[in-house]
Amino acid sequence: MEKNFLEIKDLKKSFGNGEARQDVLRGMNFTVKKGEFCVLLGPSGSGKSTLLNIIGGIDTPDSGFVSIDGDKLEDMSEKQLTLYRRKHLGYVFQMYNLIPNLNVKENIEVGAYLSDNPLDVEEVLTTLGLQEHKYKYPNQLSGGQQQRVSIGRAVVKNPDILMCDEPTGALDYKTSKEILALIEECNEKYGSTIIMVTHNEAIQYMAHHVIRLRDGVVRHNDVNEKRIPAAQLEW
Amino acid sequence: MRNPLFKRIPKEIVSDWRKYLVIIVFMVVMIGVISGMYVGHDSMMFSVEESREKLHIEDGSFELSKKANEELLTSIATGEKANVRQFFIDKGMKKADRQVAKELEKALTENVKKVLEDEVRANCKAYGITEETLIKQQVDKTINEHLEDGIKKAKKSEEFQKNESEAYEKAREEVIKKVDKQWDKIAEQYDLDENDFTPVAVKIYEHFYREEAEDNNLDGEKDANLRIYQSDSKIDQASFNKGRAPENSGEIAIDRMHADNVGVSIGDKILVGGTKFKVVGLLSYVNYSTLHEKNTDFMFDAFGFDVGMVTPDAFEQLSSRVHYSYAYQYENKPANKIQQAEVSNHFLKALITQTLVHENELEDYLPEYLRQASNFAPSDIEGDSAGTAIMCYILIGVIAFIFAITISNTIDKEATVIGTLRASGYSKKELIIHYMSMPVIVTIFGALLGNIIGYTLFRNVAVGLYYNSYSLPNCHLVWSEIALVKTTIIPLLLMFLINLFVITKKLQLTPLQFLRHDFAKTKKTKARRLPRWSFMRRFRIRVLFQNMPNYLILIFGVIFVELMLCFAFGLPDSLDHYRENAPNMVFADYQYMLMSSQDEDGKTIETNEETAEPFCMKGLLYPKKATILARGMGSGGDEGVTVYGILDDSKYMKLPEQMKENEVCVSTAYRDKFGIKAGDIITLHEEYENKSYEFKVSDVVSYDGGIAAFMRKEQFHKMFETEEEAFNGFFSKNEITDIDEKLIATVITVEDIEKTTVQLNHSMGGAMDVFKYALIVLSAALIYLLAKIIIERNEQSISLVKILGFQNGEIGALYIAPTAIVVIVFSVISFVIGYYLMIWIFQLFIMQMDGYFAFYMKPFSMVLSVAYLLIGYAFVSVLDFIRIKKIPMDVALKNMD
Repeated sequence: MEKNFLEIKDLKKSFGNGEARQDVLRGMNFTVKKGEFCVLLGPSGSGKSTLLNIIGGIDTPDSGFVSIDGDKLEDMSEKQLTLYRRKHLGYVFQMYNLIPNLNVKENIEVGAYLSDNPLDVEEVLTTLGLQEHKYKYPNQLSGGQQQRVSIGRAVVKNPDILMCDEPTGALDYKTSKEILALIEECNEKYGSTIIMVTHNEAIQYMAHHVIRLRDGVVRHNDVNEKRIPAAQLEW
Repeated sequence: MRNPLFKRIPKEIVSDWRKYLVIIVFMVVMIGVISGMYVGHDSMMFSVEESREKLHIEDGSFELSKKANEELLTSIATGEKANVRQFFIDKGMKKADRQVAKELEKALTENVKKVLEDEVRANCKAYGITEETLIKQQVDKTINEHLEDGIKKAKKSEEFQKNESEAYEKAREEVIKKVDKQWDKIAEQYDLDENDFTPVAVKIYEHFYREEAEDNNLDGEKDANLRIYQSDSKIDQASFNKGRAPENSGEIAIDRMHADNVGVSIGDKILVGGTKFKVVGLLSYVNYSTLHEKNTDFMFDAFGFDVGMVTPDAFEQLSSRVHYSYAYQYENKPANKIQQAEVSNHFLKALITQTLVHENELEDYLPEYLRQASNFAPSDIEGDSAGTAIMCYILIGVIAFIFAITISNTIDKEATVIGTLRASGYSKKELIIHYMSMPVIVTIFGALLGNIIGYTLFRNVAVGLYYNSYSLPNCHLVWSEIALVKTTIIPLLLMFLINLFVITKKLQLTPLQFLRHDFAKTKKTKARRLPRWSFMRRFRIRVLFQNMPNYLILIFGVIFVELMLCFAFGLPDSLDHYRENAPNMVFADYQYMLMSSQDEDGKTIETNEETAEPFCMKGLLYPKKATILARGMGSGGDEGVTVYGILDDSKYMKLPEQMKENEVCVSTAYRDKFGIKAGDIITLHEEYENKSYEFKVSDVVSYDGGIAAFMRKEQFHKMFETEEEAFNGFFSKNEITDIDEKLIATVITVEDIEKTTVQLNHSMGGAMDVFKYALIVLSAALIYLLAKIIIERNEQSISLVKILGFQNGEIGALYIAPTAIVVIVFSVISFVIGYYLMIWIFQLFIMQMDGYFAFYMKPFSMVLSVAYLLIGYAFVSVLDFIRIKKIPMDVALKNMD
């Protein structure tokens, strides 16, 4: 975990014009090392989701840059960005966004299809505790189970970075902890770099690296010396 | 790894099987019908063409009054003209010589006798013999003893020799003078002196026939006139649709279509000229694809006329006279119609002259290219079915839009999933391919199944239609490239392009826009202000505004439904209308066409019938413009136009007073078919000559019976350089009884016009009803699909208002009522659009054929076609209501962000 894998430099982004102009990111700087579990913490409107979208290559900054493993995203064409997302990223959203007429296993295969070296789908199903549900359709699953599938879909790609946007935002306490434990396991087991956006303060204790955002800038950039396993988190 | 998204396709089909079933049935039926028609057409045309070659169709035939000897046949086969003048001169000379010799002999004998008698009397006088009895005895004795010597001596005399040669010369001169006088007349009549004559070598075949009365129900009465040929004929052979050729003298094979019409089947016994025959085969003669008894018959008659085949033995045993008919084939086939006309013209000259010099008589001559019985059906089959093809494309277009809208709705519904997939690295192309695959697969499946059904079931239906009308050979399945293009490639392309356009446009959004459901191009659409109506009313209007694109598709679909209904009701209506109007389609109750205006003796044909009025007639061609839409199966060729020359004071056709030279009036049918109006210039040309005429259209006269132009008789003669007294026939109110039947080519009466519709009804009758109900079912199915889209689109809102506490009835009023209003309002508008569209399509269809047939719909049918739509929609709205009831409330919750 020595090398800087992700570098964010002077990132700025605003929406609207004139009086309605709103600066969401106002010169953001930080780095993330490979294999790190990084949490972006902040209240609503702090710019954390916008930041995640820019890192994920689905949104563009007004200025500054994002570089991953030395490659700057701003230099990439739309096609290259798609390829970048395809080869390096996994996405987990607050809403699970599963394909309704594909079963659990097939939804995970949707992720596996994109990767050159995907993980074994069956193994992922086991890891996520979805073996017994693998032939069920999304509408037959609980919210927590659907989120597991959505994590499965992202993880099975064996991505360099797993982007998680409020993955527990729509879940209850117990299920949230289970999901966090799974993400933690993916980080440890598969070595994926995790960038998780959350407003849940408790989650910071399980991360290697905590970045606090407020009003579009980094307020604190801390390395967590004493991590607590997800299962022991309380909020 | 295969893209797992593809696994969605079968699941989608299963989950929405009703919709896809309707779409697939739709496509299969339409593609099947079109493919069947094309394949049936191509197969039939191929079989007809092939049979002409295989069954050795003649290039023409002629009939002689007595059997031709070898010498005559050989002479005709050379194609050389005989020297008729010399023939007559030789013949005349021989006769004259004989006569001169006889006369000379007589005169000489008398002369010698007189000389001998004078000598005897002189001697008697010298010897004083006065008794007359003694003198006479002496005279007789001397004549008996010396007459011969005297004649011999006299013949040697110079005087006699001079007189003899003078007499011969005079007689011969007389012969030549007489022959030349006659010859000039004949030569002029048959153009025999033309210098650019080219001999046309032919191969001649005996093709004798007899005509006998056919009694097909053994009741002792004649049912039809049967023309019988021998089974060993080498020309104009038959193909057997059923059974076989006769093998012994008790067997006969007859025309398949005639047998079908009169209910004769294989194994039945029929009486032919009083002799019983067993029917062993149903055949189709290559030169009788329609049963035209005479070439001049206006319409064929498959009931009252029949052709048959017996063995040579049986032929011998029949009692009626043998028609010495000979068929021929050219040694060098002419390449086109103009050449055919030229060649047959040359051949006719050889035929006339050779028959004459061989002392036979030519009774009939007909080159094959003019033969109705072998050309009527193929040229009729040639016509395209552009109309149906256009209907097919419009339908595929509608289905493509239905797909595109459905998919566009699905994309909206799955926006966040698409956003996630795009964020995860799925490319736009992959998603386009994914969403395109369903319509493409369904089209391929529909086209495949449609083609299979087309090549089997519908092809047989199409071929059956041809068999119902004509005596055609057995038909083999032929691969049709046009069918493939029109039924598979074009629908696939249509489906592909329309969907590609809509889906590509839809997937242009960024992943983030999808994730945020941010579909609007401009951020804020202006909210439409509504008057202070009741809440429900405003809500309904909002629903209407929201669904505008879907309603546009609905309106488009409703127009198409009306188009189909217009077709379904209009086709039988048009046929009925044609039949009902048949009496208005003749100028006169009787229209007599004469072979010529003079009889055999060169006297002008006259009648005592008071209502009879002579007219002139000429067939010309009007060029049809080929268009992309109208091209296809057949070229259609040029349109035949009948030009009439009418008397100034005609009782049957009133022409405008001031018609100048080169001016014509055109029939309403001509105007309607080609959009010709007064003042236009039309150019008509001869079919078999490179000659054309220009006319100015002065007016339009009401006549729907055909494509015709009318001019004054005197101008007719001027334009076509015919004699002023010449005419081609009579119009008459009453039957003309005092003209020799031999001189009449055709009589056209109202019944003849009606025969056409009877034949059409016979050919199409059953198919038309099936077609009508199929179209009505398809219309209902289309409305079902369109209405379903609107409910699907609003599922989430419906679910939401359910949560809010709206009852099903109220929701129905919100979401079904706007659709109902749109359907009701547009049913009438769409009918009008569909009706005029149908007229346009019908016009295209008619352009492929000869003649004119107006599209007509009864007012009641018009009401029905709107009513059927509304009834169909009423059923669909009940289904919609059930669908609304079934929408669960969690739809709104589950898909909300």
